[in-house]
Amino acid sequence: MSERWTLGRVGLLVAQVALAVIILLPFFWMVSVSLKPGTEPFAIPARLWPEHPTLDNYVSAFRPEFRTYFVNSIVVSLSTVAITVTLALLAAYTFTRNQTRLILICMVLVMAAQMFPASAIIIPIYKLMKEANLLNTYASLILAYITVTLPVAIWMLRAFMARLPIELDEAAAVDGAGPFRTFFSIILPLCRPGIIATAVFVLIVTWQEFLFALSFTSTKEMRTLPVGMNDFIGQYGIRYGELMASSVLISVPVVAAFFLLQRQFVAGLTAGSVKG
Amino acid sequence: MQNRTRWLAWVFLAPAMILVGILMYYPMVGTALESLYSTSFINPNPQFVGLALYERIFSSGEFGTIVWNSCVWTVFVVFFQNVFGFVVALLLNRRLPTSGLMRSLVLLPWILPGVVAAILWRFMYDPQLGLINSFLLRLGLADQGYAWLAESSTAMAAAIAAAVWKGFPFSTVVYLAALQNVDKEQIEAAFVDGAGPVRRLIHVIIPAMKEVIVINLVITTILTFNYFDMIWVLTRGGPQNATHIFPTKIYELGFGQFRFGEAATYGVFSILVLAILITLYFFFQSSGRRRNGAAA
Repeated sequence: MSERWTLGRVGLLVAQVALAVIILLPFFWMVSVSLKPGTEPFAIPARLWPEHPTLDNYVSAFRPEFRTYFVNSIVVSLSTVAITVTLALLAAYTFTRNQTRLILICMVLVMAAQMFPASAIIIPIYKLMKEANLLNTYASLILAYITVTLPVAIWMLRAFMARLPIELDEAAAVDGAGPFRTFFSIILPLCRPGIIATAVFVLIVTWQEFLFALSFTSTKEMRTLPVGMNDFIGQYGIRYGELMASSVLISVPVVAAFFLLQRQFVAGLTAGSVKG
Repeated sequence: MQNRTRWLAWVFLAPAMILVGILMYYPMVGTALESLYSTSFINPNPQFVGLALYERIFSSGEFGTIVWNSCVWTVFVVFFQNVFGFVVALLLNRRLPTSGLMRSLVLLPWILPGVVAAILWRFMYDPQLGLINSFLLRLGLADQGYAWLAESSTAMAAAIAAAVWKGFPFSTVVYLAALQNVDKEQIEAAFVDGAGPVRRLIHVIIPAMKEVIVINLVITTILTFNYFDMIWVLTRGGPQNATHIFPTKIYELGFGQFRFGEAATYGVFSILVLAILITLYFFFQSSGRRRNGAAA
């Protein structure tokens, strides 16, 4: 069925193009400036296109401390993703399969926790980490990140698991599978799309986390990318070409993960909020 | 058998409960206690002062400014993010050759790491080198670069615009999914009855999406009230407190000036505000579910 190209449809198309410009213009500019050599970013007024594009900024952006931040971010994010998803799977399974009153109360308590502001509770957490001698370690960040991402992860996975009929568990029990086997060989494989969506979400959140990383890390060796970037503004505030090149480098992993796993991610993100 | 699964349920739940308990609920109590003690950079040993810090904060003009800024910030970001998000969802819900592509592109700002987005916008707003001023100069709308983030009159509006750009995709995706769940027959029936697009929207589509809209409003309110990265990187709360909101003020007092007690006092206020919002969230969610249950 070919729809007619009415004036209205052309108008909608124009609106979509305008939307694309609003979304993409800042990105385009980030990439454009990152390709501008030497003093070109300082031309007044600014030019949208680089006149003599070069990768120099990327080479100088990839200096040793940036590499350290990158490694730190990868270690912290991947550890958080692995631990959070595992714990969230166990909790979500329990929440969907055993709905006693006490368990429901626990669920509300866990869900409500995610909404409280990290900034309001960061000082006591900071003191706890200090007493445990964990400040300026991966462990302090990973622990904090697991805690803030866990409730959302449980919420996303719960929406997924709630759709698996309980008869599946019962059939497995009749066939003689214990609760562990039911969980690992029946439930887990069926939750794969949900697990992927949750993992991408946790990755996006931890990769950009700023407040905890800013407060808990005190040396350059332990900084993650967002904090390192924030430091760059002070140190290299006027080297915009390099700053934009590092911005592109930081964004690539999460943008790539998103585009590769887009379908599952959007489905998982909206499953909880739309269907309740 | 039944006993065994019940026991197992608690083993499965334990890690999540322990972490959330120690790192979220205990610190909430800790913040309340902290607000009763005074510390400063010169005097780092906590000293019990009772409610003196609350008095000091109430009597300073700063507290009012922070409350006002937090309200302006939250209300405007939430309003524009949801309106823009909804309109974009309607637009991308139409069958057009570009809709599929746009649905993938639209999430880009939301995925972009917060600090990167903030740095990018800081650069966009730069009076000399920024893209926005360059456009205005080229078009002849300005004769010299304007320092959007350095002037008290525009800093907040500039921060709000950047936050809306970063946040609207989340609302769009949620609304798009909800739009696809609106009963097609109802829309068709309204169409047959001669309802135009605006009336179909007001009388059929929005009522059908009411719960999603309300829950999304509450979620974005909570997230925006807690939003630290954007303002901290753009302005650090300046100029002269013009953009300081609760999270940035708490960080500055606590980790900038080591006034943990005063930071905690601000913290207690933000926990109270959030507690009200969270109660609202659970109220709307459970009332929505009850109505759905009754309809089914």
